[in-house]
This record gives sequence, structure tokens and C-alpha cells, in this order.
Amino acid sequence: MTESNPPPVTPPVPVESAPADASPRAAAMPVRTVALRLGAVFVAALVACALAYLALAVPGKWFTGAQPLAWGARDLQVTRGAGRIVGDELHVLPNDPSGIIVVSVVTKFASVDLAQVVWIAIDVPDDIEISALWRSDYKPEALNTLPLPALGGRLLPAAVGKHAAWIGRIEGLALAFRGPIAEPIRIRGVIVRPLDAPEIAKERVREWFAFEGWTGTSINTITGGADLQDLPLPLLLAAAVALAGLAVAALYRWRPALFPLGALGSLVAFALAAWLLLDLRWAWNLARQVEQTAATLAFRGFDEKRLAVEDGPLYAFVGKAREAMPKEPARVFVVADSHYFRGRAAYHLSPHRTFFDPRVNSLPAPQALRPGDWLLVYQRKGVQFDPAQGKLRWNNLAPVSAELKLAGRGAALFQIR
Amino acid sequence: MENFLALAAGLGLVWALGIALIGALFRFAPPRVALPAPWIAGCGWFVGMIATTLAMRALSVAGIAFGVVSIGAPLLAITAIAGWLAWRGRAAQLRGTLREAARALHGGGLDGWQRLAWRLIVAWLAVRFALLFAEVWWRPLYPWDAWTQWATKARAWYEMRSMVPFAGVSEFLSAPVDALLWFDAAPHYPATMPLMQTWSALLVGRWDDALANLPWWLTGVALAVGLHGGMRLMGFRPLAALAATALVNTLPIVNVHVALAGYADLPIAAYLALGTIAALHAIRTRGAGEVVLAAALLLSMTLVKNPGKAWLVMLLPAFVVAALPRYGVRIAAGLLAAAVFALLVGARSGVTLLGYKFYLQPVVHWGALFDAYFSYANWHLLWYAAVATALLGWRHLLDREVAPFTLAVASGLLFLFIGFAFTHAGQWVEDQSTVNRATLHLAPLVVVWMFACLRGLLRGSGEPAPAAAPAS
Repeated sequence: MTESNPPPVTPPVPVESAPADASPRAAAMPVRTVALRLGAVFVAALVACALAYLALAVPGKWFTGAQPLAWGARDLQVTRGAGRIVGDELHVLPNDPSGIIVVSVVTKFASVDLAQVVWIAIDVPDDIEISALWRSDYKPEALNTLPLPALGGRLLPAAVGKHAAWIGRIEGLALAFRGPIAEPIRIRGVIVRPLDAPEIAKERVREWFAFEGWTGTSINTITGGADLQDLPLPLLLAAAVALAGLAVAALYRWRPALFPLGALGSLVAFALAAWLLLDLRWAWNLARQVEQTAATLAFRGFDEKRLAVEDGPLYAFVGKAREAMPKEPARVFVVADSHYFRGRAAYHLSPHRTFFDPRVNSLPAPQALRPGDWLLVYQRKGVQFDPAQGKLRWNNLAPVSAELKLAGRGAALFQIR
Repeated sequence: MENFLALAAGLGLVWALGIALIGALFRFAPPRVALPAPWIAGCGWFVGMIATTLAMRALSVAGIAFGVVSIGAPLLAITAIAGWLAWRGRAAQLRGTLREAARALHGGGLDGWQRLAWRLIVAWLAVRFALLFAEVWWRPLYPWDAWTQWATKARAWYEMRSMVPFAGVSEFLSAPVDALLWFDAAPHYPATMPLMQTWSALLVGRWDDALANLPWWLTGVALAVGLHGGMRLMGFRPLAALAATALVNTLPIVNVHVALAGYADLPIAAYLALGTIAALHAIRTRGAGEVVLAAALLLSMTLVKNPGKAWLVMLLPAFVVAALPRYGVRIAAGLLAAAVFALLVGARSGVTLLGYKFYLQPVVHWGALFDAYFSYANWHLLWYAAVATALLGWRHLLDREVAPFTLAVASGLLFLFIGFAFTHAGQWVEDQSTVNRATLHLAPLVVVWMFACLRGLLRGSGEPAPAAAPAS
């Protein structure tokens, strides 16, 4: 092979329009002055946008002096339905066919200046009736109600400030659900707060900086703080960038020397500054997530990590199941009510040749299972095993001969005979 | 520690293989303009990944069991030969390039505030990648599809030391009990990323789906390096190129796809962005080596994720515009119109394409789209900036240097819109499950287009460029 001389190559040519010293104005003004001036315009625009938002969002007086009041899960009483305290949450379910749950708290506060009731509840079905209720000393016999919408499993705040019955001293608050409720609703408490400017501003800041840890939906979308936000930070910053850009464009026409980067250059600088602010928030959230991950998962073996995450009990059971199964990859059917557990169990069983329904909570047709196959059942209702006859049965279909190889809490492993 | 060293060496070999192959390619088909070192380095990882997985496919077809030696030895040999070919006779030149790259990393060649800005951005990116590394290193496989349809294959291939077949429901259920046939939620998905996990697991010596995900972190790093190189190749100054890199690599949805590794969306975004830059550069220079590199990057998309085939078609108008500047826009417009017409006809007859069934009646979830792009934190201000760029720079959208990128982004957005409005994928917008992931494929390219457009705009306005330096 002959060695050839490389042909001459042309270096890539920078093609930005202006060389570094193209602008006499730019050359004349120190960087710090340019930065401070642009920073001042941007901060002013940001403040203006925030004030404009508050003008729209504050329903009454901007400053009331009222303080928010809060009651935790342990202060609540289950007036109808069944409930139990789990950690700092009250888990409630209906206990009769009416599907009604009522949770209440005895209070004693003046309604004046307190304009919003926030029930903090999680896993609220979207398709049930929900109401916020209260009683006041003005008409003690009257039970006042306000429909409460749920979004993404959470309750939206109830704006009660302008309600005719929100008057006098409030002597009790309640929350009522009615409808098909299969899983417990988790209630953390209730907050009553003023809707004045400081409180709204504090609430928005709290929403932006609420920690957003990894969840099953993080791979699809990042909300940027609290799940529900009245004013998303990107929206506010984009408005501020636009306003600052318009302000500079106007000032630039009047006195160009003020802004050596020009209107467009200044707009780019504002956009980069806003991007940096958003990224600082995101980086902080990411750092908190890493701190949490480190606390639970760092410097552990693979099995230890697996046992420490959400499906640890499933992983433990699958580990025992693998010991009961042959080393060679066997065909295994996995059933569970939750598609999360179906998929996870199938994955943990690999390299066994697992079959699971990724989308529907279905059970295989009995004829699909053949002698030698395995069936792993994990938290799945409707599968019955008769140990005396060695028969497995589900969906009232023909029974299948099987041998129980392993049993755990809500879990079992069978081999089909 | 041994695991880490083996993993680092094995994945380093993948990257070195790619760089060596590109070096050897340009040895025989010299580039028409000097290629920035970060461009070759960044593309190296992506070429290496495809070369490695192609080698694994070949071994599997040949019936040779997967192992560190059976895979690593041929890769090492190819790397050595390609590296020697690339290095031979050009050692001094390459040493100079490396020295220059090392100097550039510290902001050498920049003065005053630009050097400070450079160093701050590099440090910021370094912190970001350190945080992401911790997440990848510590967290076992987490996101949904990763354990229902991607790593499922890797796990079976690692344990069986071969690419054992995966089958759909009916085939799996009708097979004999002892048939060596596997099942997961998407048995037809491409093998590239699962093979990279398989290679990582082989290096570690056991199945550890945290360590097996390290290629995702490297994909993020390589995208950053390659994008910087690509922007330099397009003639942007170092700081502007670094700013574009930072914008892409600080996007929360990009970071999430590194931290919660296991999906193929980030790799395809990288192949799409770098492949487009490479192809437009190749069309401009008409260099054989450039053409081969571009083709390798673009064709790889089809081996990474099924929508890669669609992205390849969507890029055609951009390439036509670049190749035929005089008539290209008209031809490209004709192509796009023909594609839309074909889709409408297809929708009328209920055609299914790549698993998507088309409907004639569009359903657009505008509120959910607004939330995804403008309200939530997924994109920082990317889509605000993209809209502003299009509005402010509309006169320059079809400038010679900008038009191909405009067409690439426009046809990409059209593709996404048609998918979200005219197919059942619309429901994935409403529940926010796929809209951001599908858009992620296009996002780095959108940043590149914005910079290209902004450059045209600044030229046209006569205003000083944002990178212009006031006296410090």
C-alpha cells in the first residue's frame, strides 16, 4: 500500500457577520456596563410581568395581613366511609354501596380575608363527584357546598372568597366524594389561605421550586415543580423576554448607543438569561434527585438496589421463583392485576421465555398453556387453585392441571402438568 | 472497580473504533475542508456504536457465542488497523489537531469575557454530566418501555450469548413449549441499543441493568461533543458552537433520557442531528469521505428505532434544497405537497404506515400540545425561541445556508403534526406520553436551525453579532 500525501485542506471559515471588533459602540462600552444595563431591563420586565399576573390573579385586596391556616391528616375525621392513617396521610374508601365518603374537620376562624380552601388529596378518580363543604356561625343549620374539580388525581383549590355563604366564623370544613372508588384516596390535609398578593406570589414560588422526583411519567414529561401550576415559570420568563426585547427595541430606535448589542442581540441575551434561570431551577431539582438516589441506591450491590426500589417485594418473590425453576429458559406466563407488575415480573424472570399482556389485564386461554409451561401469579384476583385435585381455574373456564411450586403473599408459581 | 475498568475499556474501544474508522475513511477520501476534532470525536461514538452492533449481529449469524473476547478481539483488531491507517504519515497533523482540541477545551484562543463565558459553560456542562452519570450508575433500569421492550432483548441475548429470536403473540403462543423463542412488548424493535446493553453486560461479567445503561450517558456526552464539532463545521465560532451545545444538553427532556436510560429516543435524536449536519456538509463539499460518513450516520437511524425510516424520508426535501439551490425549494415544496397528498389519500383508504393508522378527520389536542411545548419544563424556552426565530427571521428562512435546515425542521414538524393529528398517536399527546419523546428526535436539529437562521438574521440586520466582544 502506498502512502499518499494528504491534499491541502481548507480550514472552516467563521461566517458570523460581524468580527469581534465590528461595532465601534460595542468596543466603546465595557462588558459590565452592557450586562448591567441589559440585566436592569430584564429584571424590570420580569417584575412588570409578575405584577401584571398578580393584577389578574388577586381577587380582592393585595395586602390583607391574614395568615394561612392548615390541618393535617390526623386532625381529620371520617364522618362517612372508612379511613385509616398511613404515615402523614389519611387513606379513605367508601364502606357501603352508596360510594360516599365524607371527611371533616372542626375549625374556628374568621372567614374574612381567607379566600381559598385547598384540600390536599392524591389518587382522586377524575370521574367522581367531589364537593367542598363548610358550616359557618352565620347560618349554623346550613351546610354550604361547592363542587370541586380533580385533575390528574389531585384536587384543584376551591375559591370561596366571593361565595355568598363564606361569611362569619367558619366552624367546620368537609370534603365529600361520591362515585366508584376502588383504590384508597390519600388525603394529607386542608389549608385555608388568603388570596392576597404575597400569598399568591409565595404559592407560585413554592410551585416552581417543589421537588419533582422521578416518577413513571418522567421519561415522557417534566412539569417543572408542582404537578399543578397556575403560572408556569417558562411562560412568565418568556413574557419577560418578549417585554424586555420590545423595550430595548423601542429604546434602541430612540438612542442606539444605549444598547451596543442592538435590539436583536439584546433579545438573544435576554433569552439566554431566561434559559439560564430555568436551567438553574432544573439543575437544582436534578441535584436533589441525585442526593435522594445516592441515599437509597449508591454503593449497593445489584440485588440490594433491586430490593430497595418500588417493586422490591416482587423482585424478592421472582428471585425465589427462579430458584424453583430450571436453569434452562422455560416458558412462563405472568399474570397480575397491575400491568406494572406483569411487565416487571416478566422482566425479572428473563432469560426465561416470559409471556405477559403488556396492555390488558387478561388471563391466557387455558388451552394456550401446555404441560411444562409455568404460570406466575402476582396480586391477581380470580385465579383459583384446588390443591387436592391439583387444578388451576380462572374466568370460569376449563381447569388446568398444575402443581404449586412456590407460594408467597399474594403470589404463587405453578407448573402446568 | 474491576467492573468499571472493564466497562470503561470496552466502551472506550467502541468510541475509539468509530474515531479510527472515520480517520481511516478520510485517509482514503480526504476531506475537502479541515474537519474539527470534536466533530470526528463526537461522530466517532455513533459510528463505533453501529460498527460494534453490526459486528455482534455478524457473530450471531455466524453462530459464534457472544463474549468479551469474541466481540472485543475483532473490534480491537479493526480499531488498530483503522487507527494505524489514519495515523500513518499524518501523525504530526493529528498531534497538532489533538493539541488544538485540548487548548480549545480550556477556552484557548478566546479573550476576555468570551473566555470566561466559555469556561463557565464548560464547567456547567461538566457538572450536568456528573449528575447524570451518578443517576445512570446508581439507578437500576427504570422507565417503562425500557423493561417491556428494549432491555428485555438485551437480557436474553446476554444470558444466551446470542441474538435469540423474539416473536409476536400468535407466533409465541403457537410455538412448541421448548421452542427457543422469546416474547416482549415490541419484538420487532431494532437491535442496536439492546446490543449495546448486551456488550456492556458482557464487559461487567453479569447482568446489571444500571451499568448496562452507561452507553446512554456516553451518547449524551458524544452528542454534546459532536454537536459542538458540527456547529464549528458549519462555520460558527467556538463560543456560539458551545452555546448551541449547551442549549441542547441542558434541555430537561434530553437530560431525563440520559438519567433514566433505556429508550432509543436520545440516540436517534443524535443520529438525526449529526447525520443532517454531515449530509448537508457532504452535499456542499461533494467529498466522497463526507458522503460516506453522512450515509453511515443517517442509515444508522433505521437500525436504532423504527421511526428512523420516516425521519430519513423527511430529510429528503432538505437534501434536495441543498443539492439544487436554484430549484430545490420548488422541488422540495412539491415533494412535501405530494407527501401530504399521499397521506390524505392513504388516510381516506385507511392505510397503516409503520404501525400508525391514518384517519382523515384530524383531532388536535391544542391544549395538551401547548402544555407540552410551552408550559411544562420539558423544553425550557426552546419552542418560544423557535417561534420567535421563525417570525423574526422569516426573510432568511430560505437563504442558501439556512434553507436546508428550514426544510428539515419544517418537514420534521409536519411529520410530527400529521402523526399527532391524523393517527391514533393523538391520544399520546393528550396524556403527554409520547409527544415530548417524539419531538425529542428533532430537538437538536431545531437548535442548529435556530442558530443558522439567527446568523442570517444578524447578517441581514447589520447589528453586531451576539458573540461580538465589547471591550472588557
